[in-house]
Amino acid sequence: MFYLTLLLVLSLLVGAIFAAPLRGKVWVAFTAVAIAAITVAVPSIGVLAGTQTIIVAHDIPSILGAGMLSIDPLTAVFLLVIAIAGVATMLYSRGYIASYLNKKSPAHISLHYTALATLILSMMLVVMADGGFLFLFAWELMTIASFILILFDAERAEVLRAALAYLIMMHVGFIFLVAGFVGLESATGLTSFAAMADCFGNGGNFAIFILFLLGFGMKAGLFPMHVWLPEAHPAAPSHVSAIMSGVMIKTGVYGVLRIVSQMSVPEQIHTAGVVILAAGVVTSLWGVMLAAMQNDVKRLLAYSSIENIGVIFIGLGIALLAQAAGNTMVVTLSMCGALLHTINHSFFKSLLFFGAGNLYSQMHTTLLDRFGGAAKHMPVTAILFLLATMAICALPPLNGFVGEFLIYLGMLGSVRDGINTLYAAGGIMALALTGGVVVLAFTKLYSTVFLGSPRHHHVAESEEVDSLRIAAMAIPALGIIAIGLFPQYAIWAVERVANVLTNGHSVMVNAGIVTTLSRLSLTAILLVIVIALLYTIKHRAQRRRTISEGPTWGCGFTSPNIRMQYTGESFSEGLQSIATSLTQNTVEGRAVGKSEIFPSSHNYNVRHKDKIDRLLAEWWVELLRIINKRMMNLRTGRINNYILFALLFLIAIVVLSLFNLI
Amino acid sequence: MGIALNTLLMIVVAIAIPGVINRTRATLAGRKGLPFTQHLRNVGLLLRKGSVYSTTTTALFRIAPAVYLGAAIVAMLFMPVADLYPLISFEGDMICFAYTLALARVAIILAAMDTGSSFEGMGAAREALYGALIEPALMIGFATLAMFCGYTSFADIFAHEQSFNLHLTIVMFLIAYLFITIAFVESGRVPVDDPRTHLELTMIHEVMCLDYSGVDMGMIHIAGWLKTACFSMIAANAIAATCCFHWWFAVPLAILLTGLSIGIVESTQARNKLVRNTTFIVTISALAALIFFIGFLLQADINI
Repeated sequence: MFYLTLLLVLSLLVGAIFAAPLRGKVWVAFTAVAIAAITVAVPSIGVLAGTQTIIVAHDIPSILGAGMLSIDPLTAVFLLVIAIAGVATMLYSRGYIASYLNKKSPAHISLHYTALATLILSMMLVVMADGGFLFLFAWELMTIASFILILFDAERAEVLRAALAYLIMMHVGFIFLVAGFVGLESATGLTSFAAMADCFGNGGNFAIFILFLLGFGMKAGLFPMHVWLPEAHPAAPSHVSAIMSGVMIKTGVYGVLRIVSQMSVPEQIHTAGVVILAAGVVTSLWGVMLAAMQNDVKRLLAYSSIENIGVIFIGLGIALLAQAAGNTMVVTLSMCGALLHTINHSFFKSLLFFGAGNLYSQMHTTLLDRFGGAAKHMPVTAILFLLATMAICALPPLNGFVGEFLIYLGMLGSVRDGINTLYAAGGIMALALTGGVVVLAFTKLYSTVFLGSPRHHHVAESEEVDSLRIAAMAIPALGIIAIGLFPQYAIWAVERVANVLTNGHSVMVNAGIVTTLSRLSLTAILLVIVIALLYTIKHRAQRRRTISEGPTWGCGFTSPNIRMQYTGESFSEGLQSIATSLTQNTVEGRAVGKSEIFPSSHNYNVRHKDKIDRLLAEWWVELLRIINKRMMNLRTGRINNYILFALLFLIAIVVLSLFNLI
Repeated sequence: MGIALNTLLMIVVAIAIPGVINRTRATLAGRKGLPFTQHLRNVGLLLRKGSVYSTTTTALFRIAPAVYLGAAIVAMLFMPVADLYPLISFEGDMICFAYTLALARVAIILAAMDTGSSFEGMGAAREALYGALIEPALMIGFATLAMFCGYTSFADIFAHEQSFNLHLTIVMFLIAYLFITIAFVESGRVPVDDPRTHLELTMIHEVMCLDYSGVDMGMIHIAGWLKTACFSMIAANAIAATCCFHWWFAVPLAILLTGLSIGIVESTQARNKLVRNTTFIVTISALAALIFFIGFLLQADINI
């Protein structure tokens, strides 16, 4: 019955979108998503406010027992994130797709909107499903929908390649998940997440946890399974990147949270915590280093998503370690931090990708060093992008800081209490370095794109995008400011989850966190007031002075030109010189030599490729090729050889069966 | 009352340090040198002047000095002067302090990039890199304090006077050393950066403000003093906590500790080659990790 209803809803959606007039398709999809968003958001808020778990549908027949859709606090948080980001994405997509309306066939546009709506709906299913077949079904639906979305520009070869790579990697991850559920079934006879409590009940079955971690890590982009992200995001349309990076990869985080919340034996929780913390540390450092070296806007953002997943996992790892040690205060702090960072990241990352979409639709490129001075032509985009940039750099008074603050506080608390001190210290070092390099990466991104003078005529010809897209961007922007200034109210959304995830350990220490966060809120407001005051004073003081304008001071050089500006590449040159071992650099053309006094025209293009990418993509391809080559030797084309092979095969069978081997 | 005195003393420290640096340098070089308050007069002059803005810049360039100074002021309000109490204090305020200073850094980097000048880009890129590499030292330094004193806010860490013990003394002196070194980097002093250099190619902090003039430049100078004062105060508090935990001891200590050490280093040492700076700063971070580890061992009462 459930599947019939789902099928009916989906086919209705498909039918309506395909039947709608070209410009109306977006509104059909938007309506569907908006209805779904409101439908799930209302009970979610209810669940977070304190009502019991809501069961949406039960006794859904599936292989291996009945499935169930339900909303508990953890689901509720993710549903809210999906609902908000989904609505913003649909709203944004209208403007972005508008320029493609006369380039692509109506069927193509319909397919895109169908897939977009399906992706959002399937993510809602993923977080509501209670495991087993139903979960895998929703998970697969999500993968397929996002695959179709990435394929939007399938005429470009690199898009096709990226989409295929995505599809393959997602299915490798899927296999891990299936294996995990099979293991779960063989251990307990059930496949629901709730059954995991039994599965891990005696402290065994750690392999099942690893399988799930691999499967969910593939989606989340944990190192070294992150390689699909920087390929898929530049290929996909911007609003698709926004929803994928802002929300879809978080379903991986959701999955891991589901699994670890079922553990109860301290030793096992400790081991899981160490594994997750290590994964988080490596992922965040790798992601941020690579992000700082990229010279493509969307690729940089993709790596930064990897980094943020790493940060979330650091928080989660610390929370688990503390849970194993029974340090409730730290559990609450770091769990709330990890969850809040998940929400925060969905806000600022979708805003950043929307901004990248604005840039792409105006300037038709995402190469960093083609931009420059875009702030003058797209002022609203520039302001919103700056907001998101500052949020992702975790600067007060914005939301990014609140999440990292709680994670730091958890780690400092660990160190202070002398529990898991060295793990926490490692986390602090990693998070601090990450935070520092994020600043480098994003000041590079922002300043190369929006500041300075235009490096390309496209920038000078660009103009601000339509107001609907700006409105769509305002949704996450509001979230960024609201959580940043009033974190004490944002915490209620996650504290119940932290409470549930830690089996009620955290309820008694919440008051302290709220006090701390209200002080933080006051500080944030004070910061804003001080800055505003200083600016006003300065402005008033300057009214009576002579203010003049002139060209930028060229340090005595009389004819500076635009080409001399610092590029993104030169901005991160210092970091590259110490982090060369992380990347595989491909250089086209030749740089100007030091001995060239009168340099001629040069073409110099450098790309920093992820070494892991190469590692994953190359060695086994090479291995396959070698094996294939060896196998080709057997294909002699002579009939007598083939008869010999058949004979050898038969002999082998006989011999093996003689020894009872088969 | 205590809070007002605390803030006032922080301002005194901020104003006095550059004076001490200048006097130390002059004395060591055998010059008559600048008067003690010359830097105040310079900034006073700047604050009365008009400004020239580059046509390349956007509104961000004009707001950035306010953000820079505003962040530095708020960061200063976290800082206790020995037994006095700061205006803002809550659990984990040390993290807020670090990231407020990061806000200042981002503001000035973006402002520098806004001018489209290659020289300022150079400075901004260096500042971003050095800022990124010094961050672990700062945070792990704070972690060491948290581990040893059992609190995560400056006021609590320093306000709870510890009874004398050798372990605490060792760690506190190491911490003081660490934060003075960080002050060198953060305030752009020799051996990382030289505020008196006359070649834009080798500047870091100074080159980022090339296009600022008048009030803006004055604000940037003041913010720089405040930042130095904060780090210096952490170091002074750490030392004061081991012997004489009173504001009348910590204030002169903060002024002299940083003022003299910067003055002496600037008179006796040449600045690093730029390529060596990265190594220098990474070494500070490694040192910080080492100090943490020493603290960890001492805390665990392991005999070394």
